[in-house]
Amino acid sequence: MATFELYRRSTIGMCLTETLDDMVQNGTLSPEIAIQVLVQFDKSMTEALETNVKSKVSIKGHLHTYRFCDNVWTFILQDAVFKNEDNPENVGQVKIVACDSKLLSQ
Amino acid sequence: MANESHSSGGFATRLEGRSFMDLNRCAIVPTIENIVATFVLDCELDLKKIAQQARNAEFNPKRFSAAIMRIREPKTTALIFSSGKVVCTGARTEADSKLAARKFARIIQKLGFEVKFKYEPELFPGLIYRMKHPKIVLLVFVSGKIVLTGAKERDEIYRAFDSIYPVLGGFRKIFRNAV
Repeated sequence: MATFELYRRSTIGMCLTETLDDMVQNGTLSPEIAIQVLVQFDKSMTEALETNVKSKVSIKGHLHTYRFCDNVWTFILQDAVFKNEDNPENVGQVKIVACDSKLLSQ
Repeated sequence: MANESHSSGGFATRLEGRSFMDLNRCAIVPTIENIVATFVLDCELDLKKIAQQARNAEFNPKRFSAAIMRIREPKTTALIFSSGKVVCTGARTEADSKLAARKFARIIQKLGFEVKFKYEPELFPGLIYRMKHPKIVLLVFVSGKIVLTGAKERDEIYRAFDSIYPVLGGFRKIFRNAV
């Protein structure tokens, strides 16, 4: 089954990838297992975000650029404001990468 | 040269030197809202590569076979086909449409495609007006030139021209001043 690999680019995903690479390098782990771990990471991240995260955020800013290719949307926003129930947060520049979750079940 | 001024309510046509036509006639002039231009880049294009590398581009081949790209100035949208054909929409003047077309071509060229720019605005060259009485066919061109054909006698030509002339006055082209 296909997974969305975009979460591997998060800090935690990068650390995991780095660690797995080290373990494969020094022979502690086989490459196949390493890939299985990453795939499980993809699934766990998706599930965790779906079930454990309830908060909603509104993001408003100036759209600097956009792209849609391979069913992935990429946005670069400038002077963005992230608003949730608490205090709003200002971010000078933010990159948003989004995948259509409906495609996971295909 | 003709001078034209217009307010938000209506239009006034003022001419230096001579009077264009019977000014009792209401001169209703359509406003150009959108221009669609087609041009050819003379080479095959890799749309996926364009969507991946250019900014403000979309490519969803399952839905539509062209890549969609936008630029801010002039505010226009281009449909880019793998054949090298490009459709440019959204401009309000011909000059903007041509400028936008050149910008899109340059963007695609910068991505490494061997672009040879040929701008052929898809304007039908002439309007065919089939007059009933007299039975004359008139070709009306953007330049203002008229061709009248199909007459059996000279008089039919003159009568046809006399009846089309006041009609055409209402379709005089307005050139917008840049703001």
